[in-house]
Amino acid sequence: MLKNKRKQRGIKEFLLVLPFIFLVALFSYYPLYGWLYAFYDYKPPKTLQQSEFVGLKWFVTIVSNKVKTREVLRVLRNTFAMSGLSLAFSWFPMIFAVFLNEIKCVPFKKFVQTVTTLPNFISWVLVYSIAYSIFCSTGAINSVLMNAGLIDKPIMFLQSTKGIWFKQWLWLTWKNAGWASIMYLAAISGIDEQLNEAARVDGASRWQVIWHITVPSLLPTYFVLVMISLANFLTNGMEQYYVFSNSFNKETIEVLDLYVYNTAMGAGGYSVSTAVSMLKTFVSMVLLFASNSASKLIRGEGFI
Amino acid sequence: MIKKKLMSGVLALAMVASLIAGCGKAGGEKETTTAGGETTKTEAQEETTAAEGGEQGDAQDVITIEIYDAAANFHGIQTGWFAKVIKDHCGLELNIIAPQVAGDSLYQTRTAEGNLGDIVILDKGDFLDCFNAGLIKDISAEIVNCPNLMDYKLQIDNYNKGLGLDDGVYYGIPAQMTDTSPVTISGEDVYSSIWLRWDQYKGIGMPDITSLDSLLDVLAEIHETYPTNENGDPAYPFTLWADWDGGDNMIGIANVVQLTTWYGEKIKESAILKPDNTFVPIYDKTAGYYKITKFLNDAYRRGLVDPDSGTQDWNSVMNKISNGQVNLLWYSWQQGFWNSVDRKQDGTAFAVIPVEDMLYYADADNYFGSTRVWGVGSQVEGEKYDRIMKFLDWYASPEGLTYEHCGIEGFTYTVNDDGTFTQINSNALMDNLPVPEEFGGGGYNDGSNQINQWLCEGYCTNPNTGERYSVSYWKSYKEATMTEMKKEWMEKYDAETPVEWMEKNGKLLASPNVQVPLETYTSDLSLIRNQVNDKLCDYTWKLIFVESDEEFDAMWDEMTETLNGLDYQTLYDFDTANYQKEVDAKEAAKAAAGK
Repeated sequence: MLKNKRKQRGIKEFLLVLPFIFLVALFSYYPLYGWLYAFYDYKPPKTLQQSEFVGLKWFVTIVSNKVKTREVLRVLRNTFAMSGLSLAFSWFPMIFAVFLNEIKCVPFKKFVQTVTTLPNFISWVLVYSIAYSIFCSTGAINSVLMNAGLIDKPIMFLQSTKGIWFKQWLWLTWKNAGWASIMYLAAISGIDEQLNEAARVDGASRWQVIWHITVPSLLPTYFVLVMISLANFLTNGMEQYYVFSNSFNKETIEVLDLYVYNTAMGAGGYSVSTAVSMLKTFVSMVLLFASNSASKLIRGEGFI
Repeated sequence: MIKKKLMSGVLALAMVASLIAGCGKAGGEKETTTAGGETTKTEAQEETTAAEGGEQGDAQDVITIEIYDAAANFHGIQTGWFAKVIKDHCGLELNIIAPQVAGDSLYQTRTAEGNLGDIVILDKGDFLDCFNAGLIKDISAEIVNCPNLMDYKLQIDNYNKGLGLDDGVYYGIPAQMTDTSPVTISGEDVYSSIWLRWDQYKGIGMPDITSLDSLLDVLAEIHETYPTNENGDPAYPFTLWADWDGGDNMIGIANVVQLTTWYGEKIKESAILKPDNTFVPIYDKTAGYYKITKFLNDAYRRGLVDPDSGTQDWNSVMNKISNGQVNLLWYSWQQGFWNSVDRKQDGTAFAVIPVEDMLYYADADNYFGSTRVWGVGSQVEGEKYDRIMKFLDWYASPEGLTYEHCGIEGFTYTVNDDGTFTQINSNALMDNLPVPEEFGGGGYNDGSNQINQWLCEGYCTNPNTGERYSVSYWKSYKEATMTEMKKEWMEKYDAETPVEWMEKNGKLLASPNVQVPLETYTSDLSLIRNQVNDKLCDYTWKLIFVESDEEFDAMWDEMTETLNGLDYQTLYDFDTANYQKEVDAKEAAKAAAGK
């Protein structure tokens, strides 16, 4: 009877989980079937069945000579630089959330939060239009500088490569910081109020409360988020770089995802783009496991 | 480039959304907000036109068809006056699938489903692939019952035989056919040449232009004399854009590749075809691509290039042309964004200014069709199929062609006593004039034919008028545009039209029209083509903006090395072999025409 009940419960719970298993299978495992394309010479309008099997040819093509290897290395450099920059500044949303939390005037706090969260919902295409109208040769910045007599020739902001990684990071942060801080704000509200009160009774200053209570309480959340972004290290998205790239800055702005798109998708080279993105998956997995064991080593516990 | 497409796509979507929002009421309730008290009158007018409209005027009877259209710059349901025309005459509503707007991956996803569209308009290479993959319908039985299409039987036969089909078997209909001949040049001007504002050219004393260097001197003088438009916005001779780089079967940036035709050279994918019918690689320092890139760099160093050139898209350029912020045009169609009858009258329009040392390459009329082909999707059956064939026939009929090339009677033209046409509202397209409700309402440009591809070119003769369809050939138009400016031009150059001047002076290199099925790239080659093109475009843009000759040449050599590292040679070998067939066919056509 008891055994039966337990069984029944097991089935019930399994049914509850089933939709999610189904979703995971559908969206995370089924697409892996597409990896097949990397081993065929696929070109529309032919179907995969009609295409020729070519083995590892496309993987070899990516690095088949010096120039191509240089290209891949260049793209990897950009990817690592840009992801590395985001990673290095990944504490920014946390600090932002902490400071936001310290604002006592509620309407102002809400205002700041709304204003910083809104850009998250603007598409990159529109962000570029804004950037263009501000920074083009007749845009706001150049007009002000020219009228003030500071320059006699417009500065070409959008095609300069000076500090481009940092500039791109700024755009990304402008767009994402507010949104990313929501998680931390939630974590802050979860901190036991007794800790804060006890600290204040003990005479801790505002700054000391932040440093000794708020920040340490946020660290677990922070580490989980860093982990996730590490696994996505190579996937820094292409939209942003796609809209901001032009012939002058492509050298330094082309990240892996964009490279895959530029080399393959435009010309319908689906097989080779699948091959590149497969490599990306492998590298991401290596990064994930590496950081997981590092975490085990340092903190004594892993994430997976 | 795709980025820009994306942007224009988003904007187009937004526009469509606003259009739909705007038109919703008028269409549904037949109640116009503009007319105010005249609501009833509009209603009555609408009913009469619907009744007059033709066989399938009944709105409930309308079938929506999908057109996969490689030429369209618009994605979605055709709206406005042209939608009404199609609905009234063919009982169809057009859902245009535009890879140029929505992305080339549409081609992959739709072919994978085995249904590209009910009507497909493809580049001929893709058409060949789709034909081989069984995605195109055999229309042999029905096309012979299409009298208007059969007027072009010779041309359609020619194409289908090229596919390796037997006599009387038809799959494709080439686009933009003409009824002239494969060696005629009907145009008054060639596709690319120097267009300057006549008032500005006159303003600096009409100096003769002998070479690219002297052209730069002239442009520098114009720039100095007219640094801004009337509103004080900066104006430049060269305003470039990157949207079409690598397109039209030519690698490299579009603003350079088109200009190589000034010296009789034509780019065929990765190779340059010289006037003596030999091929050289695109990076050859003695050939046109180098020459023109250098020319643009010189222009840049003299301050004649719009600093936004590298980052703007075609839409901004179009606005600049319409605003008078551009002093030089080089595509013949660009003048449409500035030249109006009024401007021609007051002499501020753009005109072709011949350059002495140039040899203008010109393609002869597309007698056998352009590079695109129309077909019907293999899955189309029944009533839909009948209507599609009727539509195609109508599209090539004098009535259809009149709508396509001349617009709406009573709005863009009127009929004279002798049956010929006179243009009215010549700015309808440019200023997107509101179309009267009886013709379908909306803006004229918004509602214009979004298929953007004809079956028959405007050079064809309209049997009803005895004149060609294109406005610029109408007697009435010629009379109306016989302006002071045109007279001055004719006097100075002793010719009626630029083409006549070129022919007279032996400056025209005419390439006869042929229809040779060319092989498409394998996956390897298209990967190479794409990488090579990307690199070439990036380097070219940078080359235009370098500051010294040494830097220019060093970068050019670096580019050559990079391109070779990307297997340029393989691509070049394939392209030259492929296009040699076309060259041979053209030679044969020339011999046949006795030229």
